[in-house]
Amino acid sequence: MDTSRSYLEPSSFSKKLAATIIIVYTVITLIPISWMVMTSFKNVNSAISYPPEVLFEPSLEGYVNLFTNRSRQSQEYLDSLPAPETWYEELVRSREMVITGPSKFLGRYSNSMIIGFGSTFASVFLGALAAYAFSRFRVPLKDDLLFFILSTRMFPPIAVAVPIFIMYRKLGLGDTHLGMIILYTVVNLSLAVWLLKGFMDEIPKEYEEAAMIDGYSRLQAFFKVVLPQAMTGIAATAIFCMIFSWNEYAFAVLLTQFNAQTAPPFIPTIIGEGGLDWPAIGAGTTLFLLPVMIFTIILRKHLLRGITFGAVRK
Amino acid sequence: MSDKKKFKGLSDKAVAWLFIGPSVFLLLAINIYPLIYAIRMSFTNFYANKIGREPQFVGLKNYIKVLNKEAIWEKMQVTANFMFWTLLLQAVIGLGLALLLNRKFKGNELLTTLIVLPMMLSPAVVGVFWTYLYNPQVGLFNYVVNFFYDFGSFDMIGSSELAPWSIVIVDTWMWTPFTMLICLAGLRSVPNYLYEAAEVDRASKWQQFIYITLPSVLPFLLLALLFRGIENFKMFDMVVELTSGGPGSATELASINLKREAFEKWKTGYSSAFAVILFVTIFGFGNVYVKVMNKIKER
Repeated sequence: MDTSRSYLEPSSFSKKLAATIIIVYTVITLIPISWMVMTSFKNVNSAISYPPEVLFEPSLEGYVNLFTNRSRQSQEYLDSLPAPETWYEELVRSREMVITGPSKFLGRYSNSMIIGFGSTFASVFLGALAAYAFSRFRVPLKDDLLFFILSTRMFPPIAVAVPIFIMYRKLGLGDTHLGMIILYTVVNLSLAVWLLKGFMDEIPKEYEEAAMIDGYSRLQAFFKVVLPQAMTGIAATAIFCMIFSWNEYAFAVLLTQFNAQTAPPFIPTIIGEGGLDWPAIGAGTTLFLLPVMIFTIILRKHLLRGITFGAVRK
Repeated sequence: MSDKKKFKGLSDKAVAWLFIGPSVFLLLAINIYPLIYAIRMSFTNFYANKIGREPQFVGLKNYIKVLNKEAIWEKMQVTANFMFWTLLLQAVIGLGLALLLNRKFKGNELLTTLIVLPMMLSPAVVGVFWTYLYNPQVGLFNYVVNFFYDFGSFDMIGSSELAPWSIVIVDTWMWTPFTMLICLAGLRSVPNYLYEAAEVDRASKWQQFIYITLPSVLPFLLLALLFRGIENFKMFDMVVELTSGGPGSATELASINLKREAFEKWKTGYSSAFAVILFVTIFGFGNVYVKVMNKIKER
């Protein structure tokens, strides 16, 4: 893609003005995110002080609360216990509570990982196969099939949630990892096919034809020649699928409860005494958003290309 | 590309079906089958929580019920307001940012990445942490607003006048980068020679903007708005966690109402009819929009 500037060289004043406005916007837009990260390092009291504290004594209370379940105990009972062994036990004790066990957060987080990676792999793999076929072969009703694949993205998730709920209950896929992996794979499939077809179209046919003349079969040529060539596109597509599965909420909240629930429906339910435990929610949010933010910054070239890709080629 | 067997291995036709087959099968099984199922249920009085009871065919009754219900039209109105304001703000701010970013200043790639961050986040989680920012007692948002102009105490989520704006603000914060990116792609696709030719013809900067920049970026902007329009018509996750449709039903968008009917009251037949109506609406509007968009492109 040609990324060269289409504008003639702007004056240095207009450049500076544009840069200033953009920087101000960037700062404002990042405040909510930074605030959440800051809140995760506050203690329960400083999180609900007014005016909001910008400078505060950092605390890991939010993270401790996120990973543990606690119960309040009387002072006499606490005194009767042996001295706390770890720093986090000590922290919890100082709030007149004891740790009763690990919270569900780790389980939900690993569900997010399993379902995210599983569905990303499946949708990119199936998407690459379909995209290659659409890109290279004369498929009957090609345009109709492609439109059909795209149109599946227009369904409101709630509209198909009840039938899927009933179907999954019959098939024994309700509240299972496999069920959610299949579901997210399908939701991502249309995007994967469309994005990857664009990338495959750009790879010259001559590459695999040369390989086939050298004695490769079509399948070998696809796996050994085309796939490595399409790596950029595959990476971009994989990021999108991963972000979708990682962030998805509607299906997760409607179709899963105990076994296969991911983190997004869990984070809002972190409740402390007397309302929501903001540092713990901040900690959960931070740990949950961090991978996506790091991903976005490291892989920005692929990502930005992927987002605009659909638009550029219609 | 005929089917001459000049290479070893499977024929091209076989490979094509082998490659497309699994995707089409999955889409049919997990997307189309449920949709047909939903359409079928929309003609019955089925309740998904009453397993033993045999659903009865009731014809168009559910559809008539949905379309005659005052409350449904209120939800549609709420959805329409939400869409109008989010799309308007995202179009204006997104295009503005894209125009600014398109001047070659140092570091604009990094800034673009930072601006894009909000749209990568989980909408549900975003909804939760905005309830904290909007908190009337301790919220940062309220503090900042009062810092500039003292409104006294106000509750963005709890008041039925302000709540619709609370979801518009969050959605705009999150998704303006999307319009921005697409517009930026549009701006970068304008060939330089158009501007060069315009300079030769002594067109002013303003004329260049009106006659070259705007017409070239417009199709891209319209496309971005189509995507956002579809997404916001379906909007569920962020708003559920932020306001859960309240107070009362001030922010109860169509999808949230649908979820209540389908998963809380378990009126499966009725809610399926509502879902089909929503689906047809998106498709209808989407198609008309694409036609209009293509007309504009042709000009």
